[in-house]
Amino acid sequence: MTGSPSDEDSGTPLDEESVVPTGEKSGTPLDEGSLTADAASVPGEPRVEARGLSKRYDTPNGVVRALEDVSFEVADGEFVCVIGPSGSGKTTLFRLIAGLEAPSDGAVYLGGDRVTGPGPDMGVVFQEYHLFPWRTVAGNVRFGLEHADTSASERRDRVQRMIDLVGLSGFEESYPKELSGGMKQRVALARALAVDPDLLLLDEPFGAVDAQTKEMLQRELLEVWSETGKTALFITHDVAEAVILADRVLVLGSEPGHLQDVVRIDLDRPRDRGDPEFGEYVSLLRHRIGAD
Amino acid sequence: MGTDDTPAVAGSEITSDPDASNPESDPETIPGSIRESIAESVASRRAGYGAVGLAAFVAIWHLVSLTQPSYVLPTPAAVGATFIEEAASGGLTVAIGQSVLHWIPGTIAGTTLGVAAGVIAGWSRTADDLTSPVVRLLRPVPPLALIGFAIAWFGINHAGAAFIIAIGAFWINFYAAYGGVEGVSEDLLDVGRSLGISGDRELLRHIVIPAASPEILTGIRTGIGRCWMLVVAAEIFGVPGIGRRILRASNNLQVDVVIAYILVLSLLFLLVDATFRAVQRRLLVWRGEAR
Repeated sequence: MTGSPSDEDSGTPLDEESVVPTGEKSGTPLDEGSLTADAASVPGEPRVEARGLSKRYDTPNGVVRALEDVSFEVADGEFVCVIGPSGSGKTTLFRLIAGLEAPSDGAVYLGGDRVTGPGPDMGVVFQEYHLFPWRTVAGNVRFGLEHADTSASERRDRVQRMIDLVGLSGFEESYPKELSGGMKQRVALARALAVDPDLLLLDEPFGAVDAQTKEMLQRELLEVWSETGKTALFITHDVAEAVILADRVLVLGSEPGHLQDVVRIDLDRPRDRGDPEFGEYVSLLRHRIGAD
Repeated sequence: MGTDDTPAVAGSEITSDPDASNPESDPETIPGSIRESIAESVASRRAGYGAVGLAAFVAIWHLVSLTQPSYVLPTPAAVGATFIEEAASGGLTVAIGQSVLHWIPGTIAGTTLGVAAGVIAGWSRTADDLTSPVVRLLRPVPPLALIGFAIAWFGINHAGAAFIIAIGAFWINFYAAYGGVEGVSEDLLDVGRSLGISGDRELLRHIVIPAASPEILTGIRTGIGRCWMLVVAAEIFGVPGIGRRILRASNNLQVDVVIAYILVLSLLFLLVDATFRAVQRRLLVWRGEAR
């Protein structure tokens, strides 16, 4: 987990990537042209790889295609955002990668191993927090550690470190009911990080908090990310949020959900929303979403 | 889903929150100390009116009883005297002791089995499908209709009475646990799985049962009350206890004794219910509400 914060300025190897296209691995190359397929891959061994992911649901009204042939890679320590209009299968993609649902076709690989179900190698954060209401802040953060091989003192240290990391010292014994939305989401983040996952997977985590809290949480998440060197995959419908956070943005298109575009954000962190280049990325992404 | 998405209830204890000023925290939040004193004044108001209501009830009873012969409605004073007499003679303690001997095992057995069966049926689709026709068939059977079985299987003894009581406790707890488990959010289970727990046993133990505990505890509490009512019914076929004493006194038109023992039942119920409510409140401290 060494190269994480430096990855953001390594926007150049696009050309090298086209030499080693992953299109052949995924079996079915994307119909959007080679640029997309190349930008979806990364140099070296990817931390996460989605190969030809499809998901169909059988409903009484026929088969619904939620996601069609999505392939991409995420490098170790990279921060990747997934954006797309509603109906583009963002949440389906999240659930497939987390192993909470099985793909109809294709597979997800984490560190080279095929994902067959949910597990502690994946730190998952949901929009609605889903804290355990009967547990305190410390109890929530401890949950995953209780089911891992850790000693009691190790556990205590780690819980405290995670709580400090997300800035909730002093609230260890509070119950979720007593916390604001922003604080709940920090607990959820600490809980996911406590088990030291290989990938941090977040599904619109800041979608339920107000704008001010959201910006603060984004800053904090970036700090946590650069401090821990985790690989992050972040689902959002907020284009500006993707530009603030991501090294690369995967743009999904709808009906059925498919990978439409991949955009690398070549901006130094911390990023400034007032920066004209920032604005250009935002309008570029808006255009890509709408241009389907 | 989303039901746990309640707005932040910011008590005074978290005003040091770095983002306490954010518009998310309820602007109309009342500081904890003021909230407590409001709760206190509400409680004392309730107690005051309650005392007035109780006094009025006893007064009306007294007035009505003056117009009636004592075998129809004795005066409150007469009932009080009988109560003291029964207590002094030791008859009261004996009756309570006898009733408790089948109330406790009946309640415990019915509650345990009811919660267990409800959790299993609420959790496992297969178990639910397998049992649901039988459940629908047996559910409407009143416990008293099973007296024949109680006598045939256990005899006219504490075990037989406990059986009747257990049946009553079973269904209340079955449905409470069933509903509680069915209502556990799938998302919480997903979180648990992604944090490394798997298998029915672990999920039940670490997520499902804690999440369903408010419903389960409400079921247990309702069941305990129901079982006290069933004590009278369960003793109808000759098992000694408070119920038997009430039935015998009724046959002899000793209405003062009947009322005295009804009072005993009420007091015992109030005592047990208050105790359990305290336990419940402690276990559900995370909900931060007193019911």
